[in-house]
Parts: sequence; C-alpha cells; structure tokens
Amino acid sequence: MVRHMRYILILPGLITYIFFLIVPLGIMTVMSFFKPVWPGYKVEFTVSNYISYLTSPQFKTMLINTLYTSIGTAFICLVIGFPFAYCYTFKVKSQRAKNYITMFLLAPFLIDWTIRSVAWLSILGEGGVLNSLLLSSGLISKPLKILFTPAALFIIWVQTNLLFMIFPINLALGRLDPEMIDAARVLKAPPHRVIYDIIFKASLPGVICGFIFVFVNTISDYVTPALWAGGMQTLGLSVSTYASQFLWPQASAAGIILLVVCIIVLYILLKIVDIKKLVYE
Amino acid sequence: MGKIIQVRDLVKWYGKRVLALNKVSFEVDEGDFFVIIGPSGCGKSTLMKILAGVLDYDSGEVYIAGKNMKGVPPHKRDLSLMFESYALFPHMSVFDNIAFGLRMMGKDKEYIKRKVSEALALVGMSGFENRSPLELSGGQRQRVALARALVVEPKVLLLDEPISHVDYQLQRKLMEDFKVIHKKTGNTFVLTTHVQDHALTLADHMIVMNTGVIEQYGTPEEVYCKPKTVFAARFVGDINLIPGEVASKDGDMYIVKTEIGEFKSASSGEGHIKPGTRLAYGIRPQYVMVNKSIKNANYVKGKFVRNYYFGKYVECIFNVDGKAELKASVPPEEAINLKLEKEYTLCWDSGNTVLLEKPSVIEGLNIEEVIYGK
Repeated sequence: MVRHMRYILILPGLITYIFFLIVPLGIMTVMSFFKPVWPGYKVEFTVSNYISYLTSPQFKTMLINTLYTSIGTAFICLVIGFPFAYCYTFKVKSQRAKNYITMFLLAPFLIDWTIRSVAWLSILGEGGVLNSLLLSSGLISKPLKILFTPAALFIIWVQTNLLFMIFPINLALGRLDPEMIDAARVLKAPPHRVIYDIIFKASLPGVICGFIFVFVNTISDYVTPALWAGGMQTLGLSVSTYASQFLWPQASAAGIILLVVCIIVLYILLKIVDIKKLVYE
Repeated sequence: MGKIIQVRDLVKWYGKRVLALNKVSFEVDEGDFFVIIGPSGCGKSTLMKILAGVLDYDSGEVYIAGKNMKGVPPHKRDLSLMFESYALFPHMSVFDNIAFGLRMMGKDKEYIKRKVSEALALVGMSGFENRSPLELSGGQRQRVALARALVVEPKVLLLDEPISHVDYQLQRKLMEDFKVIHKKTGNTFVLTTHVQDHALTLADHMIVMNTGVIEQYGTPEEVYCKPKTVFAARFVGDINLIPGEVASKDGDMYIVKTEIGEFKSASSGEGHIKPGTRLAYGIRPQYVMVNKSIKNANYVKGKFVRNYYFGKYVECIFNVDGKAELKASVPPEEAINLKLEKEYTLCWDSGNTVLLEKPSVIEGLNIEEVIYGK
C-alpha cells in the first residue's frame, strides 16, 4: 500500500488530463466516424468524413496555408528570439535590467485579447502608426496594405508568440557553462563557429522546445488568420466552420486530421534532438 | 633559449574590490616545464585565462613568443588551455569534444581519427569515444579535458589543475606521461597545482603564488631548500618555524635567540642579516632527529605529545617547555620505541636550517602573526 502512495501526487493531474483531454478526444474520434445528418449525426460507421475532407479541392490550400504560416512564424520567432535570448543571458549583466526586460516581454499578456486585437487596427491600418512612420520617413510613397494580408498575420503572431520562443532558449542558454565558450575559443574556434557549434547546438533542446510552443500555439489559432489575414483558409478555421454549422462528424474528422498534421511536425522536430535531453538535462 | 612567455606588471581586478593579480611579473623559457603553485584563490586560474586570452586584464603586458598579446583573440594564439572546470561540451560525444580543436584547425578526417584515439589511449580512456561527457565521472571528465587540450599540440600548453581530481595511481601515471610528452614534443608546458608533490616533481622552474603576488621564482630545489619567505617555505613542504632574533654572527654561523633557546644556522652566503633582526628560524621535519648526536648540532628537549602515521614515516610532535611545538619525521621502526609524554632530546644540523626574514612578499605582515596564524 505504502509503495503505491507515491503515485498519489500525480493523481490530480492525471484526473484532469483524463477528463479534459483523453475523454473529449475519444468522443471526437468516435464522432468522426459517424454519419453526418444535419443538424447532428447518425450512429453509423463511415469513413466518408475523412475521404471527402482529404479529397476536397480546398484541403491542399488549407494544409499549405496552415503549415507555412505556423512554421514560418516559429522560424521568424527563432531568428528574432535567439539573438535576443543570447544577449539577455550573456551580455546583460545587471539583474535589474533583466527584470525590466522580462516585464517588457510580459506586458502584452497583461492586456486583454480583444483590446490587443483592436489595437492592431491603429498600428497596422492604412492610416496607422506603422504606415505613418514609413511615409514620413520617405521609405514609401503610398500606404502599404498590411491588414488583411498574410503579413499582418505574421506580425501579430510573432508579437504574441515571441515570448514562448525566448523563454525556453533563455533557460537552455542559462544552463550552459560560460567557460565552455572560452574553451571553444581556445581550441581555435572563430566567433561564428563558437556561436553555431557551441552556443546554438548546445541550446538546441531549448530552441526545439520554443519552436514547438510557437508552432502549437499558432496552428491551433484559427481566429487570428480569419480576422486579420483576409479570411485565409486554414485547417483550424475549417474545424470551426464545420462546428458552427453543427456538422459534428465533419468537424471531428477535420480536428483529428489537424491533430495528425501537428503530431507529424512534432515528431520531425523531436527527431532533431534527443528527447531524453529535453526531459532530463 | 628564448623566452616564450613574458608577463610584466600584470594587474587584474574583479569588480572594484577584488585584486586578483597585483603586478605579477615572470618569464617562461621556451620548452620549459613551468609550474605555478599556490593555494586556491591565489590567482592561478586568472593568470592562465589571461595567458589564453579568454580574460582581459587591467594593466601590464603579456608577450607570447615575443608578441604583445593585447587584443589578440584566443583562436589566434598558438596555445591551448585545459580548464580547471573541464568545460567539456555536453552536447558532443567524447570523440567530438577531443576532435573539436583539430576540426577548427582544418585537419582531415583520417588524421583527426588517429590523433583522437592516440590522445584517448594516453589518458587511459580508449573505448569511451561515443559516450557523452554527462555520463562520465569527475576523474574521467578531467582526463577527457586533458586529452582535448593535448591533442592540438600547441606551442604552449596551459594546464589548470589537470590531475587534482584523479586517483593517486593515475596521478602518478599522468605525471610521468606529462614528462614524456613534454620531452617528446619540446613544447612549453605551464601547469598550475596546489599540490606540492606535483610541483616539485614536474617543474623545471616554478613560481609560488600567494593572493595575487609571486612569493618566489626558482627551480624546485631552490624553492624547497632556500625558501625566501615564510609563505613559500610553508606552502612547498612542511617546516618547523620558530620566531626569533639574530643575536650575533660567529664566522659562518648566525646565532638566533628564540623563546626555546639559542640556535645556530649556517649562513647561505647570500646577503647579510644584521644582528637584532626579527625573523623565523626554520627547520624541515625530516632533519629533526630524536635521541641522536651529530656534528654541528642544535639541541633542545621536548615532550613527545602526539603523532601522525604516514606509512613511510611517522610525524612526531614534541612540545618544548610548553612554548613551541616541533615536528620530526621519524622512520616507523624508530617511532615505535618512542613513548608518549616522555621527554626526548631533539637535534638538527645547522646546515639544514633556513632563516626567513620576510613573512611574505606582501608588505606589512607581522612575522609572529603569520607563523602562529592569527
């Protein structure tokens, strides 16, 4: 009995996990094989939901849109976030400055999502802050159309997800032994090799972790593309569209396919780094 | 022989309060086995990092092979450094760790493979190529770090405490290997240690460091037999120190008045100590004999109070009139006949003694305070 007591600690988490993830997912999986009857379903096994979804003319466009926006955002976040995390860890010496930077990064999360969304109008709109700045600096002669294009989607997603890239990289970099960098320099590594071979590769678990966070966050967000990217069709949006029409079996099948796409990408990412390193190190 | 390393008036501050190196100056001959010995926190590692170029300094000059090293990045210096913390790359295998330097030098694959396996064999780690440094013990990591520094065959090899965490047997083996590699390559080795045996055994020349300053420079024999300060005498080898005052000079012999009697000391011939000078009279424990009589001897009576067994000798502590304690290294077969709490006559040859005028090169220290460790 005592031997099993230690498992009691994982019980609350396990229960939450089972009831709010496994069970709904199970229901969704079962539902995806039911025959759709508007409004609702008929308990009758069929794979037609999957077949019609996968063979529909929009599927390929949606898949490409979904992947390139999510992976693209994660990639942009990495390009911006890695140098940031590097400076934060190795160049910013004072703890005070670090606290301010963390505050600054967290600030957007203290603002309500709706307000933040509306704010994008006045920033990215044709008469917005960004266009005014570009116009007055003489870089462009007429306002750029940013809102309701994929560019707006990238800007908004990068802004809201950057933190999820920076944090894990930060943690990974913070764990590095700074003397390791000196050791590489003494072993004749020029600066760019030190950054790539030592700092980047040693913090790869953190990089992959950040990539996964951003990717998962964006692939599941169907509102932002629908709202700001000019009605861009994504896999996530199709789930919501079906659901809003009470087409539960189709919505479930689309959801499962989105999940599978997500798992495939995660599998590839985790192949790059040893998953044990993410867990134990 | 040229000077491969020249360091002049090197000063290094950590922040505004910690002075790690205080005008350190020394030179290393090309092809020398140079040892820096000192307690932890004396600035050895700081000095090594400055030589390697991974740490900047505040003032002074560092020349390597006659070239001023100010602003020269580490990868453009012909040297390698083994870090005290090992600083292995955790995301690389043992093989890749050791191969890293060779790869950066653009060596071909075959050469790298051969060199890495040679280096691993040398440190007794063959077969560990594919292991991660994270799976190794402290001693094993130290050996990998050593192999990584050795394999690039630099003109100057800096080794920061390279063998302090391996077992005694391997220490002996590695010390012999160092000597062999040093002789074979003809390169300059600079090694730091806090273990006197390593310093005395390995060094061609050595410096004794004490919190940011150099106490003494010399060959191991010079440092051991003719220490210049109380600190150097104590740090390199064990020594009995009795504070006293020079009473007179009789021919070649100084007469030193101490609390426990007047003792003779043969003058080393260097310089002249004026009568009335406060100093420390020193005699190493292996020269103190129990119940014997010899020529040129100094005698004193002491009560045998305790002993420490070291295997090849026994360190016996004698209390002299309750004023001072003297250590004598006695062979075990003789020590067995000595009885605790009994009084014995101790004697030593005046030629084996040293007179130390300075407690340390650091100014303003009181000799009694240094000896009795206030």
